[in-house]
Amino acid sequence: MSTRIALNLGGGFVPGVNAVITGVVLAANQLGWQAVGIHDGFEGLWFPERYPRGGLLDLSALGEGLNSSAAVIGTATKVDPFRVRTINSENQVEEVDRSDQLIELLRINKVDAVISIVGPRALSVIFKLHRKGLRVVAVPTSVENDVAATQLSFGFNSALSCAAEMLERIREAARSARRIGVIEILGEHSGWLALQAGIAAGADAILIPEIRYDLGKVAAKLKTKLSSHTRYGLVVVAEGAQSAVPEAEPQPVNPLKASLAPLATGHEGEHVIEPSGFMAKKIARNLQKLTDHETYPLALGQLIKGGNPTAVDRQLGLAYGAAAVRALHENHSGVMTSFVPPELKFVPLSEAINKIRTVPANSLFLQTARSLGICLGD
Amino acid sequence: MTQPTDATTGIVLNIQHFCTNDGPGIRTTVFLKGCSLRCKWCCNPESIHPKPELSYNLSKCIGEKECGFCLKECPEAALFALESDGKVRVNWDLCTNCAKCVDVCPPHALTLFGQQMTVDQVLDEVEQDNNFYNESGGGITVSGGECLLQPDFTAALLKGAHERGISTAIETAGNVPWRFMELVLPHVDVMLHDHKLTDPVRHKKWTGVDNSRILANFKQAYETFLTTKFIARTPLMPGVNDDEEHIRSVLAFIRPHSHVVDYQLLPYHRFGENKYNFLGRVYELEDFEAPAAETLARLRAIIDEAFGRGSNSAAGGQAEHG
Repeated sequence: MSTRIALNLGGGFVPGVNAVITGVVLAANQLGWQAVGIHDGFEGLWFPERYPRGGLLDLSALGEGLNSSAAVIGTATKVDPFRVRTINSENQVEEVDRSDQLIELLRINKVDAVISIVGPRALSVIFKLHRKGLRVVAVPTSVENDVAATQLSFGFNSALSCAAEMLERIREAARSARRIGVIEILGEHSGWLALQAGIAAGADAILIPEIRYDLGKVAAKLKTKLSSHTRYGLVVVAEGAQSAVPEAEPQPVNPLKASLAPLATGHEGEHVIEPSGFMAKKIARNLQKLTDHETYPLALGQLIKGGNPTAVDRQLGLAYGAAAVRALHENHSGVMTSFVPPELKFVPLSEAINKIRTVPANSLFLQTARSLGICLGD
Repeated sequence: MTQPTDATTGIVLNIQHFCTNDGPGIRTTVFLKGCSLRCKWCCNPESIHPKPELSYNLSKCIGEKECGFCLKECPEAALFALESDGKVRVNWDLCTNCAKCVDVCPPHALTLFGQQMTVDQVLDEVEQDNNFYNESGGGITVSGGECLLQPDFTAALLKGAHERGISTAIETAGNVPWRFMELVLPHVDVMLHDHKLTDPVRHKKWTGVDNSRILANFKQAYETFLTTKFIARTPLMPGVNDDEEHIRSVLAFIRPHSHVVDYQLLPYHRFGENKYNFLGRVYELEDFEAPAAETLARLRAIIDEAFGRGSNSAAGGQAEHG
């Protein structure tokens, strides 16, 4: 009997995802397997009535349509059958564990194994499904390249190319406007994107989460550059960058209240939500004070997740897709496809979770940046 | 004086003294765990889950090398140290909220949101501010989450407060079976209740459920509990419900009932993100802005007019969403 594999997407679209799907389908075809796509994470299984042709999409029949298949399959922001938001019989919203039901639904739909294309956080969910007996292989996607146990997640190279080009344009704009552009780039824990894009675009300073920054040093670096002939600068900051100098604790708005209830949740003023671009604004404002030179902040944000994949991501996507099928064919389960040049291999999910791939202190990219005279804030 | 004792227990999130926005006068607000809505703008995400749950404040962690007890204690391997800063992170998908790490965390970076308390434990704490209540016309407010999801505990709490001579109020969104409301309301002096959105489809989009039962409950409450004071409220979300149509439809709903004594607008403002981080959750509305002062003034003027007040009335003037 033919093997039937189901593929699903979590964590949003990333350039290269169509290549992964194509890789899965072509490799499955070679084995005489059938590949189906689960709509919107796992929702196609739970709510098939929402989809005109049912919750599972036959990918083998898509043909040329594979190039835009991710949009047809759909994605879920969070692929988590252990916490499915539902409305119970009392009209109350609650999160319930539907993992057993999911495994049963896969069995009813004659799905032998699942390939999940997911970001770093959902890897733990896939790991838990594997522990419950589901045959599953994960393909890592991350534009921040922060998934551990692989050197490259697909999507990163495209995001990097996009970010580098945007930075080039911003640098030209900064030159024309005679300002210091302060550009925020995705990267809460890992500075790969900011670091590599910043180097590629010739930034003056790059601030990443792994190196605590001292803005005084960044300002000093910029001051040496700024002259009557050169009146612009480019500073790249990852959203998770942190100051080496402890910032002032927010003062309780109402001291009487604080004294009456020191353990209380605290005044809402202590929990200010920072909108996206906050880091760029904060750094730009402070650098303007320190350099007496006009700055302007900008956040690239989610923009870099769009667009066409680079050749690297197309190749990597196809390779990851084919490798995921190969993993199942070789009876692996609970593994993630991993690219550690020159090898494309499978690693147990337990090696990929509970880790974040950060920039090590001896990174070649850090050495390169320092050699080029780029200030890293330290 | 011997107080009556009550060992009924509930899951309490927090007891906050000296609150001035949760009903008349100076009040002590008791936040209970558990909510039946999922408002996208929720500023108390730690109150949603009905049971005690882990919270992690990264800035308090002293690091794996200096401490690291939690890593050894966790039975689920849900904690790990990040190489770049040596501090602990929580794998929220593996954590089961067993709280074993909480007991061994010296700097209290790992804590538990919510604990089981008896009625007497809560009231003993609340009673400490009796003088403030007497001076200001305040008392106890039971809030949440949704306090009516723990109806027996809330009823016992309010009944006990009355027995100690403390005025009572609740804050509710009303999305509970009527029998819960019916159980609690006899012990309530002031009921603050939310009219979040008028349109049922939009209500479902922004809060998770439609508002048909909520409105039915409020109507029945108005008609059944004639000596209770009701204060309607709307957490004002820019681009969601900050329109005249919603305000006027709420006024049309409440004005026929004279014991609905006020309608307050609670302007949205940014906070709560730290708490989302503490719980490993994502805040979806990070780019929302607070409503413009002009919008707020215009909408409050409509309310003042409906209540026959001058536009400089203080009604709702200082209240803030929270």
